[in-house]
Amino acid sequence: MTRRRLRVICAAVLCAIFGVGLFASTVSPYSYARQFRERPNAAPSASHLLGTDSLGRDLFARLVYGTRVSLLLAPAAALLATLIAGVFGGLAGLVGGWCEKLVLAAADLSMALPLLFVLLALRAVLPLDISPILSVIATFVLLGLLGWPSSLRVVWATTRNLRNSDFLLLARATGCGRWRMIVRHVFPNLRPVLFAQFWISIPLFVLTEATLSMLGLGVMEPLPSWGNLLRGLEDISAVSANLWRLAPLILLVLVVICFQLILPAQEETA
Amino acid sequence: MRHGIQRIGVRLLMLVALCLLGGLLSASLVRFSPGYGVDERELDPRLSPATVEAIRNSHRLNSGLLSYYGHYLAGAVHGDFGSSEWLQRPISSLIKERLPVTGRSVLMGVLVAWVVALAISLATVFFRGYLLDISGTLVSGVLIALPAAVVAIFSVYLRTPVFLAIALVTFPKLFRYLRNLLAHAYAQPYILAAQARGIGQARILFHHVLPLAAPALFALLGVSLSMAFGAAIPIEALCDSPGVGQLAWQAALNRDLPLIMNLTLLVTIITVAANSFANVASERSL
Amino acid sequence: MSSRLKNLALIALLAFALPVRAQTGGELHFCLHGEPKTFNPVLVDDEPSENIRYLTGGVLIRLNRQTQALDPALATSWKVSRDRRTITFHLRKGIYFSDGTPFSSEDVAYTMRLLMDPETHSTTGDAFRSGEGAVQVRAPGPDIVVITFPAPIAGLERLFDQVAILSAHSPKKEMAVLGPFYVADYKAGSYVLLQKNQNYWKHDAQGHALPYIDSVRLDIQRNRDIELLRFRRGELQLINRLDAEQFDRLQQENPVVTKNAGTGLDAEELWFNQVPAAPLPEYKKAWFRTKGFRKAISMAINRADLCRIVYAGYAKPAYGPVSPSNQFWFNKSLEDPKYDPQAALRLLAQAGFRYENESLKDRAGNRVEFTVVTNSGNAAREKIATMIQQDLTQVGIKVNVVTLDFPSLIERITRTFDYDACILGLVNTDLDPNGQMNVWLSSSENHQWNPSQKAPATSWEAEIDKLMREQAAAATEKERKAKFDRVQQIAAEQQPFIYLINKDVLLAVSPSVIGAVPVVLNPPGFWNVETLRLGPAPELGVQK
Repeated sequence: MTRRRLRVICAAVLCAIFGVGLFASTVSPYSYARQFRERPNAAPSASHLLGTDSLGRDLFARLVYGTRVSLLLAPAAALLATLIAGVFGGLAGLVGGWCEKLVLAAADLSMALPLLFVLLALRAVLPLDISPILSVIATFVLLGLLGWPSSLRVVWATTRNLRNSDFLLLARATGCGRWRMIVRHVFPNLRPVLFAQFWISIPLFVLTEATLSMLGLGVMEPLPSWGNLLRGLEDISAVSANLWRLAPLILLVLVVICFQLILPAQEETA
Repeated sequence: MRHGIQRIGVRLLMLVALCLLGGLLSASLVRFSPGYGVDERELDPRLSPATVEAIRNSHRLNSGLLSYYGHYLAGAVHGDFGSSEWLQRPISSLIKERLPVTGRSVLMGVLVAWVVALAISLATVFFRGYLLDISGTLVSGVLIALPAAVVAIFSVYLRTPVFLAIALVTFPKLFRYLRNLLAHAYAQPYILAAQARGIGQARILFHHVLPLAAPALFALLGVSLSMAFGAAIPIEALCDSPGVGQLAWQAALNRDLPLIMNLTLLVTIITVAANSFANVASERSL
Repeated sequence: MSSRLKNLALIALLAFALPVRAQTGGELHFCLHGEPKTFNPVLVDDEPSENIRYLTGGVLIRLNRQTQALDPALATSWKVSRDRRTITFHLRKGIYFSDGTPFSSEDVAYTMRLLMDPETHSTTGDAFRSGEGAVQVRAPGPDIVVITFPAPIAGLERLFDQVAILSAHSPKKEMAVLGPFYVADYKAGSYVLLQKNQNYWKHDAQGHALPYIDSVRLDIQRNRDIELLRFRRGELQLINRLDAEQFDRLQQENPVVTKNAGTGLDAEELWFNQVPAAPLPEYKKAWFRTKGFRKAISMAINRADLCRIVYAGYAKPAYGPVSPSNQFWFNKSLEDPKYDPQAALRLLAQAGFRYENESLKDRAGNRVEFTVVTNSGNAAREKIATMIQQDLTQVGIKVNVVTLDFPSLIERITRTFDYDACILGLVNTDLDPNGQMNVWLSSSENHQWNPSQKAPATSWEAEIDKLMREQAAAATEKERKAKFDRVQQIAAEQQPFIYLINKDVLLAVSPSVIGAVPVVLNPPGFWNVETLRLGPAPELGVQK
């Protein structure tokens, strides 16, 4: 049962990362904003575990605080997006007819629309001096609200497939009530798809947040997030010279992989 | 027969209406987003007030949204899609120049991503290899966590063609879906029964698994196409590949209303076409 | 074959190859940082098009980028009348456009008329607009042109460096050129290919036709990192502007290719919104209008740290509107203010602010807090903003930093005025103070802190208005200099713009480019393109 052991390890790793994020202020030796101006771009050392960034800020502290911001909010956004996709996709798949057409058309439209401008318009509505925490939350709620169409079609296709499948026919024939059918038969079969969708969107939201900060909508300086730490990777020649700069990416990859390795457990128990 | 044609006609009409709605919506978004009608040149202290005024007027031309939309429709019927505010060139020629570049890289990218994702996910399901499954998860985990921008820069660094970057961005999501779909299909009781009876793997795959998964697969094809199109924008912008993605990025930065509206129309048409193809195909297969 | 023998053979080969290959021919390859919007020299207003105009356009007078003196080009001589309204050119004879059309005074007249036509809306033409009225252009002979302007123009002849002459008759219109190269091919979003103009008039001392190079390939490449990558691979021979960070890295790897041309003319600056109608709370507007507040902020910003950390040392602290490298116009008598947070606090106290519990409050007890906006995508400005954020905590001020995309930012600073403070670098291409006229005149739209004023809002703005107008009309350069020195003094006292740094002009030039002399003025790397030669491309010795 190595697979089970692997899951335990993954869960432990995730818990550890979450824990570090939650207790960021006790874990990290410095504030994330403090600039050690005499030591910009320093290599890892005893006083700076991961070195410093170009402004001399301790990268370990930024990573720890960034973990808190991203790891609390990205899953929340992913959950929101998956919920919306699940409800509408499921509805479209089960009900069919005009409702289905309407939902699909809306999804197509919002996939094709230049979302950039929705976000820009929103930035204009928000005042410039909202507190950083508030802007972070607003950003992720927004991401959640906008991230649904990509999952919707998959959910919809699966649901429709289910509707036409034999066992639902059987259930209907045996006089199974509508709600009971949804709860007992449709939802359990949708669950793997929804879970897959949820895990996949977490890193996407982490990354989208990075792009958003370019519009003035992301996490504002000096608050760190994985997104704006990852933006540092775009300067590839600096990274190849200082490999420890890859730390945020490694952490993100680790989290994503752990999430994914835990996932089959739920699939099988479903 | 007549009924069928009518149905197709109604459907087409709806699609056209949907595309136009997309265009109108995007035009309104651009029009009411901050920075519309603003030009970087206004900050140039060398310009005289008259020149600045002229620059502003050139943007004002399209600012009456309804009249703009009316003009646009009237022109579009005659094949005139207006001209770009930013590049001062007819939009049809801009798109004609760039669409083949993007089209090629998106199609190639999607193809590569599908072949690889299908191969790996089939392999994991067939062999139920523990290591294979884990390594597949690892690879897709790494890839999914890479920002598109970083992938783009890697691809320039390693001199790989743009389509590989698109494939790389599309692959991990595709792989996750595909693997789950197939795993789910293979877990169906009647397939387990078929396996127990010793029916050949190929027969199971082609006669039972694929038909079962077909609607979802076709839906995925549509999604992966629009996903690849979405990925093409940052990748082309960063790699400076002269395609539609780069054009769209520049148009957005310059608030080029006619150009964005036409590009949105294009993207809507492609998305809607890909998805209706998926719908029709999956309906047939049922 | 032993490696030694191989080396010998290689050396022998090189010895033969060098003198032959270094002579003429070859393709110079570098990048434009955006799409050129036009090939029509009259309509040029963006940097990529300007570069192409420099490479293809023939001008009457050329400003020598190195000596900063004026060299005769298509005009062999010229004379400015005493009232500085009329200029007479004597043109070179026997010259042909790239397509074979002969060049005469008619072409100059045609170009000037087109340039000054109000319908053309030419940026280049705007520089000549000194007063109301039409410009008169006469061509009394095939090689004489007389141009009369409605009002005197200070530094008139210098402006002709930007005027590329168009052909009045050529069927190829603006594609027929008089410069060293012509546009042979252009693929939108990808590249511009320039070929040597066989009819170019210039020859070197030995009588060889210039330019030496056969063609110039300009790739359209916005991403600076990719540009650097390609340079290191040897695909590009020149980078015209490097970021300080990139330069620093390249210097450590290969000091031969990095060239620092010195402190440039461009400055980065911070300013506060002083627009009376701005949608800000009244108490905020009152802070921003307080001279002591602005001076204190300026004092509390550690410019030396900005230079050292953001620009890796490749920048100088800036305190005024003129870069020290602009030797004639820079006001040397002004003292550099010191970085001194304590003095800043004293100044703030004098202006009625209170510093308690590490936070600054105004008279009414409002916490001093403001938002600095800057454009996204400019890493250096984002870093500057973040560093200022930390600097100002020392005087108890809380600063928020917001980056916006350029159009949104411009809308805020020119239309809605919904911002507290802004960091930008306003372009400064001209050595002459007339280039900054629109920044200083209170009626102008580019008077960023409070644009388009009906009447000057303050007495010092009124004085600057007067001085700027006087210097433009003054008879001698010395008189102009005295007036403009006073403008710089007022700017230092009032700090409407808080100048932060002047960047160094940083380039990378491959050793295969022979004769490159980087300069501060635009275009820094290829201003002497006609005398550049290409040698064999030695291994850059940098990675892959």
